[in-house]
Amino acid sequence: MSPVMSSLARTWREFRTIAFLTLDTLFWSKKTIFVAFISVFILGLSILARLILTYNWVRAPFTPAQVFGTLMSTAVIHFLVVFITLFYGTALISEEVEGKTLTYLFVRPIPKPVIMLGKYLALVWIALLLVLPSIVSSYLILYLGSDLGPFFEDAGALAKDLGIVALAILAYGAFFSLLGAWLKHSILAGLLYAFGWEGIIPYLPGYLRKLTITHYIQSIFPHDDTPGAIAMLVGERTPPLESILTLVLLAAFFLSTACLILREKEYIIEQ
Amino acid sequence: MTGIVEASGLSKWYGQVIAVNKVSFAVGPGVTGLLGPNGAGKSTLMKLITGQLRPSQGQVTLFGQRIWNNYGLFMRIGLCPEQDSFYERMTGAEFLAALLRIHGFSEAEAGRRTTSALELVDLAAAGDKKIGAYSKGMRQRIKLAQAVAHDPEVLVLDEPLAGMDPVARRETIRLVRGWGKAGKCVIVSSHILHEIEAMTPTILLIHNGQVLAEGDVHQIRDLIDKHPHHIFIRCSEPRRLAEILVRFSDVLSVRFQPEANALTLESAQPDEFYQRLPDLLLRHEIDLEEISSPDDNLQAVFHYLVK
Amino acid sequence: MPIHDLSYRHWSGEWTSHPYRWWVITRQGISLLIQKKRFLALVILSAIPFLVRTVILYLSVVAGNLPFLRVDAKFFENFLTQQLFFAFVIAIYAGAGLISNDLKANALQIYLSKPITRQDYVIGKLGVIAFFLSLPTLVPGVLLFLLAVGFHSNLSFLQQNYWLAGSILAYSLVIILTYSLVMLALSSLSKSSRFAGIGFAALFFFSQIVYGILSHILRSTQVAWVSLTHNLTQLGDFFFAAAPQYRSPTWVSGLVIFGLMAGSAWLVYRRIQAVEVVK
Repeated sequence: MSPVMSSLARTWREFRTIAFLTLDTLFWSKKTIFVAFISVFILGLSILARLILTYNWVRAPFTPAQVFGTLMSTAVIHFLVVFITLFYGTALISEEVEGKTLTYLFVRPIPKPVIMLGKYLALVWIALLLVLPSIVSSYLILYLGSDLGPFFEDAGALAKDLGIVALAILAYGAFFSLLGAWLKHSILAGLLYAFGWEGIIPYLPGYLRKLTITHYIQSIFPHDDTPGAIAMLVGERTPPLESILTLVLLAAFFLSTACLILREKEYIIEQ
Repeated sequence: MTGIVEASGLSKWYGQVIAVNKVSFAVGPGVTGLLGPNGAGKSTLMKLITGQLRPSQGQVTLFGQRIWNNYGLFMRIGLCPEQDSFYERMTGAEFLAALLRIHGFSEAEAGRRTTSALELVDLAAAGDKKIGAYSKGMRQRIKLAQAVAHDPEVLVLDEPLAGMDPVARRETIRLVRGWGKAGKCVIVSSHILHEIEAMTPTILLIHNGQVLAEGDVHQIRDLIDKHPHHIFIRCSEPRRLAEILVRFSDVLSVRFQPEANALTLESAQPDEFYQRLPDLLLRHEIDLEEISSPDDNLQAVFHYLVK
Repeated sequence: MPIHDLSYRHWSGEWTSHPYRWWVITRQGISLLIQKKRFLALVILSAIPFLVRTVILYLSVVAGNLPFLRVDAKFFENFLTQQLFFAFVIAIYAGAGLISNDLKANALQIYLSKPITRQDYVIGKLGVIAFFLSLPTLVPGVLLFLLAVGFHSNLSFLQQNYWLAGSILAYSLVIILTYSLVMLALSSLSKSSRFAGIGFAALFFFSQIVYGILSHILRSTQVAWVSLTHNLTQLGDFFFAAAPQYRSPTWVSGLVIFGLMAGSAWLVYRRIQAVEVVK
């Protein structure tokens, strides 16, 4: 094997080890029980909606697509994805500092950016693991029945939703990882951003809306018949391709900034 | 000044607080004790040496290269940190193997080195237990194991004996001395003097962020002129000996210990005193039973330089 | 005696009576938080709505009772409801680490080895968070009321609206106690203050989202009781004699809030122990 290939193979091995180490630490913690509970709760809402649909408990009709769209836009994208990436993303570096285990990683012959990237990969894995099954299960619960027409018709929207969720995880995950690497009170900063700043954008004019991640996500959201508040939230949509590209670039920007901060910042481990 | 670890005008401050103040030293192969009271700057200095902190001024190098963000150097360094923190869910073996794989070793090689390191610190039987269930001494030993598993040339050990029982303590001291003899550069920090004394006579004494003394503890003691040397003599006629000795100007004081049939005197020129003493004892036919210098040790050096 | 013994001597003075032991913990907690500049900035930021409302009060007196400058029960209720978000942020900042940091540092054993009871400890910690939660709620609420009284040249406002003082007190206390107890309970569950903070955020926002989804599915606001903030708002309507905003019965909201408080208090009491029983 050439020296370059050998070096790449070694870096990949280190990167993978960091990712698995982080995945193990993140997954087997009380956080996961908490997050899984919320995921299951969302499933519970799907079951309730399905029961209402099946037994006509309410007079005003709604379709599985409407319920699924509402679940996706409010519970999944606007809450679950943000919540998971905030919870885990800010913990990637902060917990190592608070737990005083960062020293072990920093005195290994591995570039600090590789540590950040490995941890980020673990974050994306765990977020996908906790969110995607919940979405697919909700879809199945709401759509499966005697008439499978809508099930197949809206499958394209489901695939788009899964893609959007993945993009959202990438972008939010990178942003909150940056906050975790940079700030001491990263959770509070993350909460203020996610539920403060992104919560007030309906009231902001013009280009200010574009200073949020949620704008680009909502711009590519496939469910047009969700509640009117969503339309107000988006205002003028950014074209889909531009939105996707922006999200990817944002993720790359936040992640590279996080790598830079991890590389240059001194983390004071209290004795 | 040549050494494996070198510092030149090294300073580190946090806001208004100067933790390390214009420190310069060179440490080569063998064991060097980094000694100082609490708050002296030992931990900060160790963090600077191991690249966890960036110098505010000056530089610190290992093998002639700056350490900050020079991750390639970490193949050659092993650090046993002071803090008692681990990935508690992992077993001792998993912990070592993971860190070795981060080092870049293959899975097979990491496994082999894990077994070897666990045997070295006498944790082979407990390797499959979760670290969260380890006793304090076992936790300290696993920390030591992760520092040496990749066979580094430089070992930086921050309070390595903390929490260990006497048997483990003795064994660790033996290991440290062995690593020093094998040519590794071992820097051990402690504020417990007799631990350092048991490991090495070479010290780096730090106080208020500055190096007060560097080198062999006995040589340092000799240089401390301000404090006359205490010499303990047990003989057949201590009072008659005292009568003879007080005539010499370098003898500053004599104190009798009747219960031990001995005296302790202070001499400003110990070399001259030791040269003169045998002839005096012979001429005056006084039998010498014991002679020693109670303050030719680290405790005295520490006390005289720091207090 | 000619030479005095300067070795250790037992305290022969008065001992603080037991009912005040909790105050030591509260005072310490408050002084530690006050030293944090960012936290103080947050508290000052939470005073901005109060300043805005003070200007509105002034203008309503000077310019007359115009529709958009009306000062009535709704004015005070809306102020306190708006402060729920600031109270949420302050609760997390001040409360997330209150017990979790003690658990992390094993300080609980030290506290409870002193002559204080578990109740003293819990009340002391509760005092810290309650104090800071009163800063964006009770204190400016009462001040607004006093300013409203003071800006009028006669006692007409007071005569017509004297009961608002009680409403402000009641609504503020419900907010303060609910947030304090829930935050303390979450803080007692983990050694990580991060976990406590995020848990509180989850309760705060997720319950709102669940309400949003359920109300959309069921086409009704009868399910407002699932949301923490909607329950508080419902009780606010009750205290200020306003028409309820949601179709959910007020007594259900009261029951939910009371249940939350009681459950939280029980959880805190269970978690605060000097020894760990290993079975």
